[in-house]
Amino acid sequence: MGAAQPPLIRVTNLHKTYRMGRALVPVLRGVSLEVGEGEFVAVLGASGSGKSTLLHLMGGLDRPDATPRAEIVYRGVEMTGASVAALDRYRTLDVGFIFQFYHLLPELNVIENVLVGAMIRLGRLGYMRRGGEERDRAAALLDTVGLSHRLKHRPAELSGGERQRVAIARALMNDPSLLLADEPTGNLDHATGERVLEALLALREQGRRTMVVVTHDPDIAARADRVLRLADGVFETS
Amino acid sequence: MYQALLTRRYLTSKVMPLLASLAVVLCTALVLITWSVMGGFLTMLIGSGRTMTGDVVVQWPTTGFAHYEDFIERLKKDPMVEAAAPMIEAYGIAGMPDGRTQTVMIRGVDARFGEVTKYRDVIWWKPISEPLPRDYTREDPRLGSPELMQRLHAQGLSFTRTDNGVEKPAAVLGVEVSGFNRRDPAGFYTPRVRDRLLPDGGLDEVNVFLPSYGDITINVLPLDQSGGVIGTRTAKFPVANEFQSGIYELDNKLVLLRLDALQEMLHMQQAERVVDEPGTGALGQPGALGQPQGQTIIDPARVTHVLVRGRGDMGQRGAAEPLLERVTQIYEEFADAHRGEVPSVFLISIMTWEDLNRTMIQAVEKETALVLFLFGIMSLTAVFLVLAIFWAMVVEKTRDIGILRALGASRSGIVWLWLRYGLAIGLVGASLGVGLAYLVVSNINPIHEWMGRALSVQIWDPKIYYFLLIPNQVETPRAVLVLMVFVLSSMIGALIPAARAARLDPVASLRFE
Ligand SMILES: Nc1ncnc2c1ncn2[C@@H]1O[C@H](COP(=O)(O)OP(=O)(O)O)[C@@H](O)[C@H]1O
Ligand SMILES: [Mg+2]
Repeated sequence: MGAAQPPLIRVTNLHKTYRMGRALVPVLRGVSLEVGEGEFVAVLGASGSGKSTLLHLMGGLDRPDATPRAEIVYRGVEMTGASVAALDRYRTLDVGFIFQFYHLLPELNVIENVLVGAMIRLGRLGYMRRGGEERDRAAALLDTVGLSHRLKHRPAELSGGERQRVAIARALMNDPSLLLADEPTGNLDHATGERVLEALLALREQGRRTMVVVTHDPDIAARADRVLRLADGVFETS
Repeated sequence: MYQALLTRRYLTSKVMPLLASLAVVLCTALVLITWSVMGGFLTMLIGSGRTMTGDVVVQWPTTGFAHYEDFIERLKKDPMVEAAAPMIEAYGIAGMPDGRTQTVMIRGVDARFGEVTKYRDVIWWKPISEPLPRDYTREDPRLGSPELMQRLHAQGLSFTRTDNGVEKPAAVLGVEVSGFNRRDPAGFYTPRVRDRLLPDGGLDEVNVFLPSYGDITINVLPLDQSGGVIGTRTAKFPVANEFQSGIYELDNKLVLLRLDALQEMLHMQQAERVVDEPGTGALGQPGALGQPQGQTIIDPARVTHVLVRGRGDMGQRGAAEPLLERVTQIYEEFADAHRGEVPSVFLISIMTWEDLNRTMIQAVEKETALVLFLFGIMSLTAVFLVLAIFWAMVVEKTRDIGILRALGASRSGIVWLWLRYGLAIGLVGASLGVGLAYLVVSNINPIHEWMGRALSVQIWDPKIYYFLLIPNQVETPRAVLVLMVFVLSSMIGALIPAARAARLDPVASLRFE
C-alpha cells in the first residue's frame, strides 16, 4: 500500500558494522525499506537486532558503512553522502525522534524541553523574534498530550508516561514529516503505554505524519500499517 | 538560543560550575590584590626617588664647578624651569652625642633646596594637627608643644639654630642617622635615651633631644683639584631638625648641612689666592705674560651639583626628558660664557631623576615582571581549573549533548554552548573576583591590623617598607585588564572540553549512561 505513493524515505542495502576493539560486529547487513508518505511502519525484532541502529541511520544521526554502498533517499535527496550541515538541518526540520528513555534535558522545565527544537531551528535572532509564537505552539502541543498543567515542572517531577508525552510534544515541535520512535512505550506499564500511544497516534493523524516505530508492543504493531521484523541484520520476508 | 538557556540553567542548578566560578573568583582576586598592592608600593617607591633630588641634576663631583649662581640665574629665566638650587655632595664621618661614629653622606644645601625637592614636606619635627592614621592614642610627640615644633620647623627650613643668642649653621639629619629616635609601629618617633660607652667599662646615659640641644661632629676630607686629600676638617654642628624621606638609604645615611658651612670645610668657598709666578717675577716684565708677581686673584665658590625642578609634574616615566634637553642647552650657553673656567657641556653629567634612580627603577621593573609572571601563572591556573571542571561537566552532560544533536544541534552550536558557559563562568567569577579584590584592597589596612591583633601576624612592617600604610587603591584599568584576562582564561579553559563535546558521537552519547 505504501508503494502506491512516492516513498517519503527509501533505504537500500543498508550496512552498519560496529568495531569492538579488533572485532567487527556487523549489525545491519543489507536492510532495505521504503516508507510511503503518511505511512505507519512498526519494526519488530529481538533485543540487539539493530532496530535502534536502523532508526539512527534513517534519522541522520549516524552514517552507514561506506561499503557496500547504501542509499538513504529522503524526498528524493540522497542522504548518505550529505554534508554534516545538511544532516543537522535534516534532523532539525524533517525528523522527530522519540526515545525509550525519554531523553529530556533534566535542567529545563517541560515547556523549555519542547522549545529547544524551535531554538535550534530558529537560531538566536529568529527565536528572539518568533519566541512568542513558538511558545504558544509548544503550549498547544503540551495541551494536546494532556500536560498543560505541568509546563513549569522539571522532568524529574514527572511520571514516566508524562515524560514520554513531553518527548512526543518535543518531537513534533518543528512539525517534522518523519517520526522515528524507538520503543516509545518500552519503559511504561501497559495502561500508561496505551495513553502515550493514543497521544502519539492522535498527533500523527493531525499532520498525516510518516512514522516508523520500533517496538515490542503487540498493540502498537497491531495498529501499524505494516509490520517489519528485523533478524540477523535484515528484514525477514514474511 | 538554547545555549543561553542551558548556560543559565547549568549555572544555577549545579555545584561544578559554582566551583569553577569560585576558582576564577579566587584567581582574579589574588592577582588584582597583589598587583594593586605591589603596584601601589612600587609607584610610591619610584615617587620617593625624586624626593631629595628634584627632576634634573647637573653634577661635577669632587671638585665642583664655579659660577653656579650664574648658571642658576640662567636656568630660572627659562619657562620650563620652576626652581634650581646649588648643592655639594660629599662623604664624611659623623660623631654622635653618645660617642658613636658612622659614615654619612653629606649634602650642603641652602633654603633653595626646599624649592627644588620635597625636602619641605619631609622635615620631621614640625607642628601637626592630626595624628598619623594608626596613632589612635595620639602619642606622637609632635602633637603637643606647638611652639617648640614651630621653632624646630623654622630651624629645619633655614638650616640654622640659635643657641644662647648665637645663630649657627646647623645640620638636618635623616631621622634614622643618630639612633636617638625610636620608631613606634604607628610610624611616629619618640626621642630615646642612649648609653655612651666609657673606656673604663662604665656607661654614661645620654639623654638629649637632638633638634633642641644636640650637636653632631662632622669630619670631612677636603680634596684638591686632582682629588687628593688636603687634610681633614672637623666641625661641630647643632642639629636643626631631622627629615624622613621614606627612603631608607637616605634616612639612615644623609646629613644636610648649610651650604656655606660645607663649602668652607671643603675649601670650596670663594677664596682669594695670591699668584706667585717665579718666572715672570724674575724677568721683571710685568704684564707681558700675564699677571704680575704677587697678584691676588679670586677663586669663585664652587658646588658639585645644581638641582633643577621643572614646571609641572615630572613624576611620570620619561616626563623629565624635555627638561633634561633644555638644561643641557642652558648649560652649554653657560659653559660658553665661562669658557675655561667650568667643565664643558660634553664632560659635565646631566641626568634626570630617572637616570639617577636607574638601579631602583630597574628593581621595580623586575618586581613588576614578577607580578606579571604571577599573573600568567594564575591565568594558567584558571585555564586548567576551568578545563578540568568543564571536562568533568562534559562527561556528565554527554547524554544531553547527544540529545541536542538528535534535535538537530550542530557541532558549532555545541562548541558555542560550552564556550558560552565558560564565558558566563568567567564573567561571574572574574566580576566577583574584582569585587572581592576591591573590598580587600580598600580595606587592606584595617584587615592587616586585625590580622596583627587577632593572629599576631604583621606582614607589612613599616620598619622595612617605610610606608606607614599599605597602598589601598585599585586602578580601574588594572581591574578591567585582570577581568578581561580571566574571562578569556575561562573561555580558553572551556575550549578543549567544548571541542571534545562537539566531537562526541551523538549515537554513543545517547547510549551513554
Ligand atoms: N557503538 C557501538 N559499538 C559497538 N557495538 C554497538 C554499538 N552500538 C550498538 N552496538 C551493538 O549493536 C547491536 C545492535 O544494537 P541496537 O541497534 O541498539 O539494537 P536494538 O535496538 O535492536 O536492541 C547490539 O548488539 C549492540 O551491542
Ligand atoms: Mg534499541
